[in-house]
Amino acid sequence: MPEINKLYDGVYEVVKDKKHLATRNIDFGKVVYGEKLITFEGVEYRIWDPHRSKLGAMILKKFNISIKEDFKIIYLGAASGTTVSHVSDIVSSGAVYAVEFAPRSMRDLIGLASRRKNIYPILADARKPDSYAHLVEPVDLIFQDVAQPNQVEIATRNAARFLKRDGNLLLSIKARSIDTVVNPKKIFTNELRKLEQTLEPKFEIICVKNLMPYHEDHLGVLAKLRS
Amino acid sequence: MKINTWFGVLEISRTGEIIESELFSKDSQELACHSLALRENIPNLLPVKFDLKAAAIDCRFVASPSEYYSLLHEVTLKTAKLQVSGALTPDQRIIQAVEALDDINGHVNSLSERLSEWYGIYFPESGLGGEALAIFVAYYGSPKNIESENPLYSKTINSMGAELEAADELLLKGFAESVYSLYERKRQIETYIEDSMGSISPNLKLIAGSILGARLISIAGSLEKLAAFPSSTIQVIGASKALFKHLRARAPSPKHGIIYSHHLVNTAPWWVRGKISRALAGKLSLAARLDYYSGEKDPSLVEKFEIKVRQIKASNPKPPQRTQVNETKTKKKGRSKCLK
Repeated sequence: MPEINKLYDGVYEVVKDKKHLATRNIDFGKVVYGEKLITFEGVEYRIWDPHRSKLGAMILKKFNISIKEDFKIIYLGAASGTTVSHVSDIVSSGAVYAVEFAPRSMRDLIGLASRRKNIYPILADARKPDSYAHLVEPVDLIFQDVAQPNQVEIATRNAARFLKRDGNLLLSIKARSIDTVVNPKKIFTNELRKLEQTLEPKFEIICVKNLMPYHEDHLGVLAKLRS
Repeated sequence: MKINTWFGVLEISRTGEIIESELFSKDSQELACHSLALRENIPNLLPVKFDLKAAAIDCRFVASPSEYYSLLHEVTLKTAKLQVSGALTPDQRIIQAVEALDDINGHVNSLSERLSEWYGIYFPESGLGGEALAIFVAYYGSPKNIESENPLYSKTINSMGAELEAADELLLKGFAESVYSLYERKRQIETYIEDSMGSISPNLKLIAGSILGARLISIAGSLEKLAAFPSSTIQVIGASKALFKHLRARAPSPKHGIIYSHHLVNTAPWWVRGKISRALAGKLSLAARLDYYSGEKDPSLVEKFEIKVRQIKASNPKPPQRTQVNETKTKKKGRSKCLK
């Protein structure tokens, strides 16, 4: 008999043999990427593997992320939609604007979006938020997981255009895609300084944690617009 | 101020109120086309943090938020589909073909080895291998079926091979046919790459040969990306492990990546191989740029490269002298091959 504990809005801990992170499946009976489904009292939970998802890892690392079910979210670097599917579970009455640049990944994402009505696939370059400005409304959260050397700049550029005043920015900074040689710690301090001081708009950092042991050389950052 | 949205063109005042609106029809296909056009050139950009949903309801494009979202969902889905179907470029076809070729190469070798082991039980004296063995087994099956005119016939007489039973013969014949068909497929793909490289990337084909050229495009991701690479990157494409080892630790820099398979590189004496690789990489990046940006064939590129190779060889006729013990050590390190 599984035991269900609520961690945050829409995010659960399912205890069956061992602890699993999970979201409530809004697409009943369907599996997205081979994850396990556990049904309890008529509700279907989809197991969320933190090793395959930066956001999943951030939640287990106790980032205080509250994502309400009616949130509007921009997801930069949606890829094939593994994490996007869980976000779409969480914001069951909201919207996920999933931005992805690679046509190959977009193929899988379109398959996902055609079954989940709250995913809006956008094939565009996240570096150019103007190119999808005519589609996207102001959002409560920007989540970014792109492997780009200037990823912090990309995030702030999108935040300047789309992030609500009280909205949050969630970043997964990948040291290896910024510089392969420099020590990750140095890169992280440098990128955080950019976020806080150099770039516009300026951010106030709420929480910073390394995503070990789930992801190597990745830093999770939660920030909000400085008022 | 005029602004372009996915559902129409709006005229808004400084305070953000809608003065006038010119709305599109609610046909999602048409809206998707509008949306596509807006991605390419972006006139009348929206003000930051403009509430599109409220505006759409205000100007009566949709009656409710739920209608807004369901229509937007349809439109974004259709737009993305249009973009994906339009994303196929000729170089993507070559990439799939050359990757299929590499897959086949890997598998056909292991399957051929299996066939040779398996058939070896029944006719170890055949002395055949690879495609020849596959053809032989597919045609004859049991060595007993060989005609007396066949030069292999004499070898069957005193064969130490075991008796091949009918059921096993059938199995082996079928297996050999499959192996042979893979060799056929390999040739078919090679011809395909040969032909399409000629039309898409004639200069690269001229200098690198079609298969190497196709592999370069495949690893770079597209001809566009290859054309944007500096020649130093092209030189070490495929040697990423060695390159990062060099950048992180004190390992020697790789001299060549997959361009090692070019005949002028792998036949060159070791002390000029790095120089020739560099010259080749330079010409390859010129070729890729010519192919991507102009598409015209320039035979002088190959001539220049060959002259350069001759110059390099003429000015370095002998291997460098090893005088000091220390130097010998570094030389040895530098000589290690750095393929992926």
